Amino acid sequence: MIDPAWVSGLAALLFIIGLAGAFTRKNAIIVLMCIELMLNAANLQFAAAAVHHGDTTGWVYTLFAIAIAASEVAIGLAIFLAMYGKHESITLDDVNVLKN
Amino acid sequence: MGSTGTTETIHSSVIDFAPYIVLLPMIAFPIILLFGRLFNGNKVWISTFKEGGIFALVTMATSLLLAILLIKDYIGAYGDDSKSALHVFDWFSSAMWNGGATTTEISFGFGLYIDHITVMLLFIASFLCLLINTFAIGYMNTDPINDNRNHRFYAEFVLFCAGMLGMILADSFLWLFIFWELMGLCSYLLIGFYYERPSAAYAAKKAFLTTRVGDVFLMVGLAMLWHLFGSLDYAVVFDSDNIAAVDPASLQWALGMMFIGAVGKSAQFPLHVWLPDAMEGPTPVSALIHAATMVNAGLYLVARMFPFFGAEAMHGELVDLAFIIASIGGITAVMAASIAFVQMDLKKVLAYSTMSQLAYIFTGLGCALWLANSLDWHNDDDAHYIVIVAFGAALFHLFNHAMAKGMLFMASGAVIHEVHHAHHHLHHDDHHHTPKELYMLSDYLTSKKLSTFEFFKTIDLDSSGEIDMFEFQTALKNTEVADLPPWEMGDLMKAVDLDGNGTINVPELDIVLAKIKGKTYEEHEHDDHHDDHFDAQSMENMGGLASKMPITATAMLVGSLSIMGFPLIGGFWSKEGIIANAWRVGLEDPRFFFPAACVLLGAAMTGFYMSRMWLKTFAGSPNNEVAAHVGPTNTWIKIPLFTLTFVTLGGILFAGMGFTHWAPDSGYALMSEKGLFEGIGYELGHAFANHDMFFFTLTYIAIFLGAIVGPGLALSLYGGALDEGETAKPWFTPILMLNAAIKGRYSWDNSAFATSSLSRALQNRLYFDHYYDMAMLKIVAAFSLKAAHADSKFIDGAIKTIESTSQSASTSLRKLTTGSARDYILMAAVGTLMLFALIWGVMA
Repeated sequence: MIDPAWVSGLAALLFIIGLAGAFTRKNAIIVLMCIELMLNAANLQFAAAAVHHGDTTGWVYTLFAIAIAASEVAIGLAIFLAMYGKHESITLDDVNVLKN
Repeated sequence: MGSTGTTETIHSSVIDFAPYIVLLPMIAFPIILLFGRLFNGNKVWISTFKEGGIFALVTMATSLLLAILLIKDYIGAYGDDSKSALHVFDWFSSAMWNGGATTTEISFGFGLYIDHITVMLLFIASFLCLLINTFAIGYMNTDPINDNRNHRFYAEFVLFCAGMLGMILADSFLWLFIFWELMGLCSYLLIGFYYERPSAAYAAKKAFLTTRVGDVFLMVGLAMLWHLFGSLDYAVVFDSDNIAAVDPASLQWALGMMFIGAVGKSAQFPLHVWLPDAMEGPTPVSALIHAATMVNAGLYLVARMFPFFGAEAMHGELVDLAFIIASIGGITAVMAASIAFVQMDLKKVLAYSTMSQLAYIFTGLGCALWLANSLDWHNDDDAHYIVIVAFGAALFHLFNHAMAKGMLFMASGAVIHEVHHAHHHLHHDDHHHTPKELYMLSDYLTSKKLSTFEFFKTIDLDSSGEIDMFEFQTALKNTEVADLPPWEMGDLMKAVDLDGNGTINVPELDIVLAKIKGKTYEEHEHDDHHDDHFDAQSMENMGGLASKMPITATAMLVGSLSIMGFPLIGGFWSKEGIIANAWRVGLEDPRFFFPAACVLLGAAMTGFYMSRMWLKTFAGSPNNEVAAHVGPTNTWIKIPLFTLTFVTLGGILFAGMGFTHWAPDSGYALMSEKGLFEGIGYELGHAFANHDMFFFTLTYIAIFLGAIVGPGLALSLYGGALDEGETAKPWFTPILMLNAAIKGRYSWDNSAFATSSLSRALQNRLYFDHYYDMAMLKIVAAFSLKAAHADSKFIDGAIKTIESTSQSASTSLRKLTTGSARDYILMAAVGTLMLFALIWGVMA
């Protein structure tokens, strides 16, 4: 069996990749994918911790997080659709109404 | 002998109702105001309720009734050292830091304090307020200029009365001050009743600000008194043990400051400038302020200081202040009387006369306070009598003056009212005042080429041939001529409704419109009022009225004689007392020769200007056509004149009852030592056949000056017999005959005086207003400019710096919000990382 430490390391790596992607990419969908990646990194971390402690609570959290992630994606995509309707673009740099 | 400090309660429930004396007028104030607004223009409200006048009358009558019950009960309770107190309510309490770790709990409450001075003033105020209210109904409600706003007058009137009655009944200097200021406010509102006249608005401001100068000093004085006694309650500050514990010099300063407040309120030199201008108010206001109430407040305040001067611990310590009080009185008495010599305005003569007579009372009080402070009156019965009677003379003069001056003002109001009426009758009979809106309507019809009949058809919605006020109002609104609220339609209806049936028909409208066709409002109304500089208050427009207004002339005569100190009539008893006491003190303390000489001189001057006023108004032939057409006055006005004439004539009864002894001495009852007739006999003997040679001579000198020299000069200069065919009441005949005889024989030319610089100076009120204005401009305006500069530079500058700094800070901070989602994510990540680092650091 793989040492949970390795799994934990993988989760950290995935999180950093997701984070870096989230603030370097311009395309909103890519950013959303990156956010999902970070979320899954967190899930992986939960799973690793559950194995490490021999406690099922971590697995339950993971299941909840997956359900939330699904609805989050639905909302995110809906926002992008609305955004596209309004700005005819889903490039994040084009949307800066909060500036100043 | 009255001892201070003990507090006995009247053994009856009457005193429980005493707070209502003040409370009732106070409640009536908003009610009259509200109803007046609600029913403005309503016929029943105007004719039956006199626009609130009846409400006010009922209120004041109830107050007077309660006051009389209280007085009766109080006088009946004589013997148990009649001082009474009633605690009405607790106002608030507060902790005072004593400088160390301790605090003292002090509570402020309102209560009533009743002694003889209270009782006397309570009667004067409530009695005169009721009579003046009666007069006001006859005066205010018959003058069209007041239509639809009399409720404001009555509301302010009752509030004023509440202020006066409250000030008299209050049991502490704190509440005295509060009611004092309430009166100040009402006086401002009432003097400025005709606020559309710039002169009235100016006079109101002037009265308010001038008295405020005094009030600031009063407040300082009260603060000093508080510092000395730790309380302002009469029960505490009048306690002889407490007085013994304070420093006399500090007390003198505190009382001196309070006296300046009294000087402002009672219009004494040098804060007297407001009173003549206050004549801009309606005449009932002049009567109210200058006789019954406000000016007496200052005297009351000084009279209230008596326990301080009379305390054994203060023996001889406060004589300087007593001298100042007497001197201010002396100066004002002569100054005001001399200005009264040249006034042509009837009400202004009375205003200066008021100032002069109040000055007499101040002199009297000053002398009484000196005596109380210098004589060993607690142990020596003779000295006690002297002190008490000196104080009583001043209070008695307050009483006599209030009654006489109230009557004089009301009589002058009656004269002015009738002269104005006669003038209006003579000059404005053929054309009524035409409101501006009708000119606009006329222009509208001309521009639309509508005939009156066609226009009428369009506005007579129910085709009845008559239009009422609301139809007319709607028509004006629809044609966009004028959009008036219902309460301003009254004048318009009156102008058009010629037969007075409340509606308008075609011929009426046609007549009115034809009259003004093609004219503009300005030019027509200008020649309508071409003679409106007519001054109904000027004695130039009077003369020979004795035959036309007998009751008014009688009232004026009795009032004038009382003020002059004519033997046996009201004011004689008190004025002789004041003069005698001034000289008595003068013999002890030479400084007092100055006020004593002033009041003696003032007696002759009073005789002159009061006679001049009466003769110019009522004797001789009418000065012009208007004066020849004056008619008698209405019943509402006659009632108070009639009543007060008898009160003034009855002065000898009050004197006989021992009023002068009773008023200041709480331990003395009316008629307790002598019966009424024995008392009258004693007073007569005391006045005319004094055993002391000095006072015997002094009395006759005063009578000679006041009743012969002064009036004699006036008789030789003014007046004369009435015109042929005019008959006057029999009691005027000797005066008129004497006048005609003296004027015929000793007539002399006073034009040298009339054109002299002294006369000019007097006409300009000795230039006081002039110099005050200059001082204001030079000092106050210059200071204001400096202050404005400092304000814009330093205070505003500081605020502006704060403002601009925060603005630039926020601008730079705003740069952080880029609006880019990725930047926010970055910030969130960095923030989270920092938080983790922080937590890690703490944990490790």
